[in-house]
Amino acid sequence: MAGFVAFLIRRVANAFVTIVLMIFLVFILVHVVAPTPIDMAKLVSPNPRASMQDLENIARDHGFYEPIYIQFVHYVEQVLTGNLGTDLQQGVPEVDLIAQYLPISFEMVLAGSILAVLVGLYTGAVSASNRGGATDYAVKGLYLVTWAAPIFVVAVIVQLVFAFWLKLLPASGIANPLLATPTRVTGFPLLDGIIAGDWAYSWSVVQHMILPALTLGLASFGVVTRLTRATMVDALDKDYVKLAYMKGLPKRKVVYGTALRNAMIPIVTLIALIFGTAVGGAVVIEELFNYRGLGYFAVASVYNLNYVAILAITIVLGISVIVANFIADVLYGVIDPRVRLS
Amino acid sequence: MLLQVEDLHVTYDTVYGTLNALNGVNLSIEEGETVALVGESGSGKSTLGLSIVRLLPPNGRYSKGSIVLNGKNVVSLSGSEVRRMRGTDVFMVFQDPLNTLNPVKRVSTQVLEALAVRAKKENKAFDQREGISEAIEKFKDVRLPDPEVLIHRYPHQLSGGQIQRVVIAIGLLLKPKLFIADEPTSALDVTIQAQVLKLLNSLKSEYKMSVIFITHDISVAYVIADRFAVLYGGEVSEIGEVSKVVKSPLHPYTKALIESIPKRSRKEGELVAIPGSPPNMLSPPTGCKFHPRCPYVMDVCRTENPPYTEADERTLRCWLYERPPT
Amino acid sequence: MENEVPLSGQSGWRFTVRFLVHDRAALAGLVIIGLFLGWGLVEGVMQYIASYTHVASWGWKLLPSDPISLSLKNSLAAPTLSNLNNLFGANYEGQSVLSQLLYATPHDATASVLVVASAIAIGMMIGIPAGYIGGWTDEILMRITDAFLAFPYLVLAIAFSVLLGEGFTTVLLALVLIWWPTYARYFRAQAISLKNRNFVEASKLSGVGPLKIMLRHIFPNSIDPVIAQATLDFGSVILLYSTLAFLGIGLELNYPEWGSMSSLGVSYFPASWWLVLVPGATIMVIVVAFSLIGDRLQDLVAGRLTY
Repeated sequence: MAGFVAFLIRRVANAFVTIVLMIFLVFILVHVVAPTPIDMAKLVSPNPRASMQDLENIARDHGFYEPIYIQFVHYVEQVLTGNLGTDLQQGVPEVDLIAQYLPISFEMVLAGSILAVLVGLYTGAVSASNRGGATDYAVKGLYLVTWAAPIFVVAVIVQLVFAFWLKLLPASGIANPLLATPTRVTGFPLLDGIIAGDWAYSWSVVQHMILPALTLGLASFGVVTRLTRATMVDALDKDYVKLAYMKGLPKRKVVYGTALRNAMIPIVTLIALIFGTAVGGAVVIEELFNYRGLGYFAVASVYNLNYVAILAITIVLGISVIVANFIADVLYGVIDPRVRLS
Repeated sequence: MLLQVEDLHVTYDTVYGTLNALNGVNLSIEEGETVALVGESGSGKSTLGLSIVRLLPPNGRYSKGSIVLNGKNVVSLSGSEVRRMRGTDVFMVFQDPLNTLNPVKRVSTQVLEALAVRAKKENKAFDQREGISEAIEKFKDVRLPDPEVLIHRYPHQLSGGQIQRVVIAIGLLLKPKLFIADEPTSALDVTIQAQVLKLLNSLKSEYKMSVIFITHDISVAYVIADRFAVLYGGEVSEIGEVSKVVKSPLHPYTKALIESIPKRSRKEGELVAIPGSPPNMLSPPTGCKFHPRCPYVMDVCRTENPPYTEADERTLRCWLYERPPT
Repeated sequence: MENEVPLSGQSGWRFTVRFLVHDRAALAGLVIIGLFLGWGLVEGVMQYIASYTHVASWGWKLLPSDPISLSLKNSLAAPTLSNLNNLFGANYEGQSVLSQLLYATPHDATASVLVVASAIAIGMMIGIPAGYIGGWTDEILMRITDAFLAFPYLVLAIAFSVLLGEGFTTVLLALVLIWWPTYARYFRAQAISLKNRNFVEASKLSGVGPLKIMLRHIFPNSIDPVIAQATLDFGSVILLYSTLAFLGIGLELNYPEWGSMSSLGVSYFPASWWLVLVPGATIMVIVVAFSLIGDRLQDLVAGRLTY
């Protein structure tokens, strides 16, 4: 157990250092683009036509005349205390905007990623245990096509089929705009709807979530399938799998209980990465489904040249990837006794 | 007769084409008998073991012949019949101790899995606690130290020799009629190797199992086996009593194999290697597969494969001992 | 059953090609990629001549029509077999989809090759020393790698193009920054597994310097799995590149991109389905082709030779 605690402490330290380094990289990027205090002031000035005097004031207020290392320390301090600047368009703290948009994306992306992981694990395991057979080739064809199709094509086809031809589900928005939004408690639309006991709204949220989540799932399950198949094929060749067969265990138990359990060890990292990067990757989906989450906000910020917002989103999503990786490391320890006990 | 392999052909589909791993193997094993399969790597000895337990890799195919084990033809059994056969009729242990036990499950779990399957086959209720104590008894039988502690460990906390003993214990718990060991000792240290061999030797009489011992090491086979089957190029080139085969090998390949064992009396530097390399089974030599390396090669060897011949109380395939047509 | 298959001496380019060609899917992939890169080169040269001579029409000498000027009477023409120019239909401005597709090929070909090659080069320079030297060097280099790896790729690319200004070069730069950390990790893992091997130990004992060992021994022996991964990544780069173009990032004036062609077609979907689906399908076919080869190479590297 002591070994596992030391392992955890090391991972936490690693994650923290990585976060600081990432902030450093963003800091450098900004300073390369805007080398002088006045350039920096232009980036954060809400008024694109601010006078020189205004810019100098802004630069002084933000401490852009300080030595660079002090600026960096301040910047890290600000980011880690949750100060990501003030939005250029809306004039409110960026953290508040992200807190507003992130839960919306998170709900949809979570559904899509879970779909991708479940389908990926299942198809990967099935094709590995039938390798060289018809099922294997069918799965391979399926995941190659869905993985290789650009996500915007998948989205457009999903909309066409389910929303316009079959008229099963809505193709845009987060919920029926005619319904009143329940009071904000958690920021997650579905959760808030349930808390308020507003079933009509909750049901509408679910309906609106299905198509974007399905698109995300379709576009990303292939990566899971591919890795699952490869690690499963290797695991199925191992002597412990033959031993499991020798004990007289049925194939299903050998494939899922023995081989998949071992193959999961590298797959866990990928799964964590999928969850970690899903919000950032859903930008196109949110754009096409008019799903006003963080990705939608990111694209809007690009069109508005809203630098503060873009940097804030970059940092938040970067931290979420690092945290996801940290969780993967811990899960590693949980799944693999060799990591946990030595 | 417990096992009767007749004219067995096994092929692998590879990118280079079809590889003929076994080309008409005949082998029979009586109850309680130990047979060693000896040969170089690529001779088909492991393939033979895997075909008996129906664990050929996905690209492997039985193309001809039969394997009758305990009255059933293994080649044509259905999936559930194969499952019933494994463990009860036959058990196989594999080469690599590091990968023989599932690394993510405790030893106890892996033993209990086997016991649960056994109880189900015997239509008995299965009790975990009884299972553990039965396993601990068996662990004592295979001379595992501290079985009560060891059974709750993970495989990576065990040594290679201990893992092989655990696997042998699992095999014994299932009480198979035929026990196949595929080079179970070749990855172990020499001293551990000797211990495991000694253990296998005492267990096989105690449990009255038949044993197939697969090895490339003639001296190991000599310690353990009643009979020798020498494999070359997917064929049995010589099979007979150990004492007969080792003392007076008839087949030139067997002779070469036995000469290649380093003997104490020989001076250093005189280690004899068999000249040439094992046959490429994708395009095997015509005639007798050993002829390119054989010091006694005759014209007929180059064109025709010798049939099975009986000579000096053993069966072999070599033109040297073929009785001239009368 | 590797030990049953005699494999010794079976390596090198000839064997790799034979191994690929043996698989019909990989062979098809090779043909498609050959056409894609070949055409990218030819059309790239034509466009270079056009910009060098300032005669823009050189850029579409080999195409059925001018992909840039408007030709309104051809607006939204449906795909037809009878007219090569409208084989894949025309867009609202009447420009031939086929001409635009072919005209845009050099950008995608350049992006995939250049991004992957640069990512490998950077990854090698970071990953090999990290793995071979180990200790604090490893710790520092890998934390930097992790920090880059953490960047949300799409958002970083967007941030880049906003901060550095639009354009093909900016997008390439952003893609390289996103991609190199993966290769750094590959090279590091390879270097760690190679550094204790006999041939490396032998060189070390005979006094060969670490730089030379890394160049002479570690790099050539770690490149195989990297090439397999790179083949897959050529496709991934094209996917991401076209996604950025779809969002309108990194576009250059008067230069159609597969992604932006699709993007402009969304408003005419599904009535003029070809505007979205033809560029989309082109991207898909090329990405699939790269993965067919990459999968096969990965089998080769992992020793899954027999099935």
